[in-house]
Amino acid sequence: MSKHRVSRRQFLSYTLTGVGGFMAAGMLMPMVRFAIDPVLKAEAGGDFIATPLKIKDITTEPQRVDFTFEQKDAWYTSDVTNTAWVYKDEQDNIVALSPVCKHLGCTVGWASSEDHPDQFFCPCHFGRYTKDGTNVKGTPPLAPLDVYPIQEKDGLLYLGKAEPRTKEA
Amino acid sequence: MKWVSKDIEIYLTAKEYVDTAVIPLYSVSFGNEMKQSASNAEFITLLTNYLERQFTGRLMLVPPYTYLKSDQYEDIINGLKKWEENIDKEQFKHIFYITSEIDWKNFEDELKGSLIWLPSLPLEHLNESQRISMVESQVKQLQSLFTQKWHENL
Ligand code: FES
Repeated sequence: MSKHRVSRRQFLSYTLTGVGGFMAAGMLMPMVRFAIDPVLKAEAGGDFIATPLKIKDITTEPQRVDFTFEQKDAWYTSDVTNTAWVYKDEQDNIVALSPVCKHLGCTVGWASSEDHPDQFFCPCHFGRYTKDGTNVKGTPPLAPLDVYPIQEKDGLLYLGKAEPRTKEA
Repeated sequence: MKWVSKDIEIYLTAKEYVDTAVIPLYSVSFGNEMKQSASNAEFITLLTNYLERQFTGRLMLVPPYTYLKSDQYEDIINGLKKWEENIDKEQFKHIFYITSEIDWKNFEDELKGSLIWLPSLPLEHLNESQRISMVESQVKQLQSLFTQKWHENL
């Protein structure tokens, strides 16, 4: 075998230094990240995601648009597809509403109930919202649908992270 | 709702609204059938996850009931019946089993819940948006099945 004999003790101390080094690095890394993270975070939070919807195709009738982005869940990254209901209101402002029911989180649909063709409808416990996302009194949801901040880039609609609307209902 | 602590916490405060349990069923096999087995599992997982997203507030997506394909059918069925016994009937008025294995059709009558069989689609060659529209069209059909069942027992 090799002439360069490594004694058991030497071997152990080598390995331990190695491991110790890694451990130190492991401890340092998060600290460094803490130090610089606020900047990174702020940027990530402001991320807008491109949707396939062209601004000029937005009408006064809410339409469904799906958009996909990468999401990190612990060490697991996956593609997540979210949905928005998008339309132009009377003032010609673009409105993008989250389809997540504020009662218990089912997906609401526009005009999906025959009895209420001009409202958002939740199939789970028959929650309803008017076109602007306001929850209809007497149905289970207690808050209006969340709203996506919007941006326009190259004629396409970009959406940010959906935010709760201030309570009005 | 999913089988994660965050959702279960919500469930515990809103039990009266969650009356449906969904249990995916799929077999596991090794050797030559491994790939098919994985592909089936993938399909059912994707499908039930999407379904859960549509009906988050009303259904509980239970972890899948899995078994070895080589197992005796009696054992497989009895295993599932034990699950049935453990699920609180008062809470979960509807139980749905979702599977792509046709064999279950033969045992449908022995089960208390409703069995839904769908042929497995090979999703591995599709890109994200194709997958979504595939799964979505399948789930659409499931959705109307669910709402129908909910209506029946109103
Ligand atoms: S989850 Fe929408 S009404 Fe209950």
